[in-house]
Amino acid sequence: MINRLEEWVMAALLAFMTLLTFAQVVMRYVFNTGWVWSLEATTYSFAALVLVGMSYGVRTHTHIAIDLFVKRFPPRLRRLIALAVVVVCLVYAVLMLYGSSELVARLMTLGNAARDISAPKWLLTMTMPIGFVLLAFRFLQAGWQLLRHPDSAGAVGQSHLPNVAMNKEDSEGQS
Amino acid sequence: MTALFLLVSLFTMLFIGVPVAVSLGLASVLTMLFFGDQTLVSSTQKFFHTMQVYPLLAVPFFILAGTFMTTGGVARRMVAFANALVGHFRGGLAMAALLASAFFAAVSGSAPATVVAVGSVMIVGMVSSGYTRNFAAGVICNAGTLGILIPPSLVMVVYGAITESSIGKLFIAGILPGIILTVVMMITVTVIARRQEMPRQERASFRTVVKTFREALWGLMLVLIILGGIYAGIFTPTEAAAVSAVYAFFIAVFVYRDISMNDVPHVLIEAAKITVMLMFIIANAFMFAFLLTTEQIPQMASEFIVGMGLPVWGFLLVLNVLLLLSGNFMEPTSVVLILTPIVFPIAMEMGIDPTHLGVLMIINMQIGLVTPPVGLNLFVTASVAELSLEETIKASFPWLAVLLAVLMLITYVPWISLVVPNLLLN
Repeated sequence: MINRLEEWVMAALLAFMTLLTFAQVVMRYVFNTGWVWSLEATTYSFAALVLVGMSYGVRTHTHIAIDLFVKRFPPRLRRLIALAVVVVCLVYAVLMLYGSSELVARLMTLGNAARDISAPKWLLTMTMPIGFVLLAFRFLQAGWQLLRHPDSAGAVGQSHLPNVAMNKEDSEGQS
Repeated sequence: MTALFLLVSLFTMLFIGVPVAVSLGLASVLTMLFFGDQTLVSSTQKFFHTMQVYPLLAVPFFILAGTFMTTGGVARRMVAFANALVGHFRGGLAMAALLASAFFAAVSGSAPATVVAVGSVMIVGMVSSGYTRNFAAGVICNAGTLGILIPPSLVMVVYGAITESSIGKLFIAGILPGIILTVVMMITVTVIARRQEMPRQERASFRTVVKTFREALWGLMLVLIILGGIYAGIFTPTEAAAVSAVYAFFIAVFVYRDISMNDVPHVLIEAAKITVMLMFIIANAFMFAFLLTTEQIPQMASEFIVGMGLPVWGFLLVLNVLLLLSGNFMEPTSVVLILTPIVFPIAMEMGIDPTHLGVLMIINMQIGLVTPPVGLNLFVTASVAELSLEETIKASFPWLAVLLAVLMLITYVPWISLVVPNLLLN
């Protein structure tokens, strides 16, 4: 359920950003007007898309990593390294979570509203701590998988891009 | 000390297989905490701010446009048109594959996408007309690299955003080198075809040429929208990208009808996935660049290099080697994101034009795409051509000579990269 939800949120945000920017161009050239809030709405949606998508990328193994050297190592060492990688990723997620929560807290004390949208800035920036909580959760999940299934080395990342047309048989129900 | 810690931690993490995005982010954050005078909050702010950098909005839009184009039958119609134009020469289908790749590169900003789009139509066709599978794979694999040279180009968007130079200018600068590379590859095919007696096809009638042109026109129009729009000052590159995405949706669903309305959410999800993967790296790279700037690391590197008294041609040579080596281990966007913040200030100090530097980096990245161990185009070609990775590497290897020759030409004749933008934009 949650898995589907992530996909729908991402698809909707991308469609919204694209249509809004397109509409803005049409408005400017055809009707000679525009919405002031449009650019800000687009960039905050963009941020939300990336921040929600980060953890989704962990689950679907779309983040790029260099696995070339590790592949040559003996299996036991590989497993150890894979665990170290997960720990490193967790440290990253937690530090970023801490930094972004601090940022949101600061924006709350300042109490500024966004420039063109009538919403407080801290609310719009909340997507960042939420995104990093989800990311930390997915890394924990990957670590757990690794501990339980000794033969699944390299739980995070892959060495090449997910391909545009070849991913048709989707990557559902991993995790 | 700061620089040493930053680089050692970054490369250690990359080496043990930490995702590129996380390596960049964590190395920057740790360095900042241990040595820097900025706070964690300002780093995370930089991360968030990346998604508010206006030129980078072009990234999701171009990816979306490309996904609609790859899924739809745009490439098939471009192949038909290219074939009608050059199919009657000896080695005609191979030349058509090159030309079709150049056409598709002009609507798509990604190299692997170009390989998939053209390769999935063309390789079967070439094999059934008597070419070897290996030859077909070699041509497609290398021609696909045009995707990041001929505008629009995602790598150019990223380079422009991180150096704060004009993306429109870079796009226009990529045109002539793109044409030169296409022509040089076509000449190579002609030479090989003569020697190996490759098949030719019947000359297409003028009516066929016109008919296939009209069918391909819907796709080719996109080039006009992007370049014409930017050149005439109607659109910013970001707006051009959004217009292309809507246009690509429109022709794929309503004109060519290759995909139905029900498939649209799937295309959106696919594009969103790639967007996130790239933007996650980019946002972390912006934290990395922020740290470099606040710690003044590029200035130190620049003083060191300039102090060595290296001539410009020597610097360019060293730069090429550095880029080629990095391109062997990482995909293009990551290389550009990691190296540009360090190399750009040095190059500026040496009086190298930022647009020329951009084009030069792109061609190095193209070579990285077709060289092992990490060449994206090799992986994609192997799966499209149903060859093993080793065979694909062997098939693609001879073309390296062509790419390297063009790289030398572009490196030492800046005029090629600069003449068109200077002519059109001043």
